[in-house]
Amino acid sequence: MALSPLFAIGRGALLAQEIGLTVAGNNIANANTPGYTRTRAVLSQEVPRQYAGVLMGWGVRAQRVEQVVDQLLEARLRVVTTEQGEAIARRDHLVALSAVANDLDDPSLATVLDAFFAAADGLARNPGGLAEREVLLARGEALADETNGRASRLARLQRDIDDRIAALVSEANEEIERLAALNTAITHAEVDGQIATGLRDERTLALQSLARKVGIEAIDTGQLGTRISLANGLVLVEGGRVVHRLAAEPGSTPGLDGGPLRDLGVRRSNSSYVALPSVALRGEIAGLRAVRDGELVEAATRLDLFASTLASAVNAVQQHPSARDLDGNATAGVPFFAGTTAATLQLALSDPRTIAAARSTQPGDAANALALLGVRGAAQGALNGTTLSGWLAAEQARLGQDAARAEDAATAADLRASQVRSEREAVSGVNLNEELANLLRFQHAFEASARVIAVADRVLDELVNLVR
Amino acid sequence: MLRISENQRADYVQARLMRLQVDVRVLQEQLVSGRRLVRPEDGPLDAAVVVRSSARLSALAGQRQAAALGVQVLHAQDEALGEASAVLVRAEELATQFASGLYSAAQRTAAREEAHGLLQELVAVANGSFAGRRLWSGLALDAPSPFLDPDTPGWTAASAFTGSTYEFEVQVGPHAEDRVRTSTRGDSVFGAALEALETLETALATNASVTPALDSLAAARGRLSAERASVGARQAQLQERIDRVRGLVLQEETARSAARDVDFAVAASRLAEAQTALQALLATAAQMNQSRLTNLLRL
Repeated sequence: MALSPLFAIGRGALLAQEIGLTVAGNNIANANTPGYTRTRAVLSQEVPRQYAGVLMGWGVRAQRVEQVVDQLLEARLRVVTTEQGEAIARRDHLVALSAVANDLDDPSLATVLDAFFAAADGLARNPGGLAEREVLLARGEALADETNGRASRLARLQRDIDDRIAALVSEANEEIERLAALNTAITHAEVDGQIATGLRDERTLALQSLARKVGIEAIDTGQLGTRISLANGLVLVEGGRVVHRLAAEPGSTPGLDGGPLRDLGVRRSNSSYVALPSVALRGEIAGLRAVRDGELVEAATRLDLFASTLASAVNAVQQHPSARDLDGNATAGVPFFAGTTAATLQLALSDPRTIAAARSTQPGDAANALALLGVRGAAQGALNGTTLSGWLAAEQARLGQDAARAEDAATAADLRASQVRSEREAVSGVNLNEELANLLRFQHAFEASARVIAVADRVLDELVNLVR
Repeated sequence: MLRISENQRADYVQARLMRLQVDVRVLQEQLVSGRRLVRPEDGPLDAAVVVRSSARLSALAGQRQAAALGVQVLHAQDEALGEASAVLVRAEELATQFASGLYSAAQRTAAREEAHGLLQELVAVANGSFAGRRLWSGLALDAPSPFLDPDTPGWTAASAFTGSTYEFEVQVGPHAEDRVRTSTRGDSVFGAALEALETLETALATNASVTPALDSLAAARGRLSAERASVGARQAQLQERIDRVRGLVLQEETARSAARDVDFAVAASRLAEAQTALQALLATAAQMNQSRLTNLLRL
């Protein structure tokens, strides 16, 4: 029993308001800390006690400090972050793909193709001119080089994406390890019912980061910490234990550069490897894999189709049964281009005199050069009945549309993520005005509590004086 | 109760600021480069239009050059045909003059020599070239003379032509049928004229009647006139094609420009708008920072 309950009430109130002040101060200090979840002091009345035969209140106590957090919002934030990661990865790499195949630049495949046919036009106007033949040969070589260059840039982009996937897997594994360690640390720190706010915030951030990369489900299992699993339910982390690590192993599918592309899977704790179905991974990795195995391969296939159609159309003219070179020799066995893919397309001729401009031995005959020029406007069956340049134009539209759609999707995902982040901030973020008001509130309460102790002191003084 | 955290406020300002800055940068780039279409994703359909238009413009440039070459060649042929006609006119005068048969042997010899000279002149015209290309031998470059010199032993008009029988065509449109012939084989044009002159020369040398030569000369001149008319018609066709190509080039350039180039007035006004919004946002952000409880309470 206290000498006077006032002392106890005042002392308890001082401590409680001080904790309130500290919590508000901590919130203010972390107003700009990424991932910070605001906290609040939970005050409660002391248990009423009997004093002078009366059951009465015994002041206040700070029960605990708790985070203001909405777990549903946190889960939604992870979902939209996953979608955002996937959409941004797709957008970035589809824009890069569109840049590789950009025919709006000069020089580009389209302009080099135009230049090639302009040279064929020159030869048709002067089939006996050596200069015209040299120019056609040079433009043919430039066309083959540009096609090779585009194929090589596509292959390099695919390899870059493959390397990025491997780097992401490595980063994700570091986060998986960190999350297991954080689960352990949180379990240890919260044994007496307190909340390890900083550690929880760190885990929330790590979960978001992992969700962005691979897409995860996180379930709080209470005492054991958080269970983290992939979209197909495969558990990565169980409390403080890493169950599976992600793995990117060279697979059996060859890339555009001939080297193997990485397959995605997991390694169990016994190091055995299990391949993952494509639905298991989402987020950035899924976006990257979709572009690597989808749009990029399709663009390369279509470029190969363009190259083989170009080569066969030009060779059909050059190797026409009646075609003759400048010296009147038949050129049935002398192709213009060699190679059937974009990467292997090359000039088969080296001597400009061997270009077949004529279909007879008559001087001035330009019939074959005119036929070569006709390839420019000829509908190619292999290209769905379009011309070579029409095909390139359609490719521009297709790749541009893919990139534009990916940009729209990324913008939409960004907006959704900002919306949820904003909702999360509305609940868990710090408002300085609010905290300053809290600071004033607790400061006033602290001053008043000090006054209670002063009054109690005076009452005690009176008692002591009575005894004298 | 709706709460607004510091981060929400900062995130909103930051996101809006970034978007406006990107808008300003893009518009500035467009105004500097004059193009609004830089990447295919800026306008997929417009990108296709630009690629197709560029290919068509390149083709049209070739067609215009081919037509221009054709016009030049046909002009040279027209002049040559004019010269050849003049030769035949003189030959007809000579034939008419000697048709009476009253001239002395010396006069006939002189006339024969003149007829031979006219023959040589006609062969020279038929061997004519333009920019190193034989006008009446498939426009072959640096080719030997298609007609043998009349002084060559054993020369006959029938076997004088040894040139190319290829009739040169220029491509003036996108299709195979859009070709215009710009050369005619020399024997077809000058064969009759050479034979007529040969007949005249032989008649004068052998004191035979020149009447058959007169008929041949008239027929040969008719052939030259017909060829000249054909050349004129093709010249007009090519000239018309050049004019049409000019119009098509303008149309294609307009279409390409509409798809690719920036509308300066629109871009400039959008830039001004974006810059104003940027300034307003910065001012608002500064104002937001002043509205703090600390400022009101002077803490």
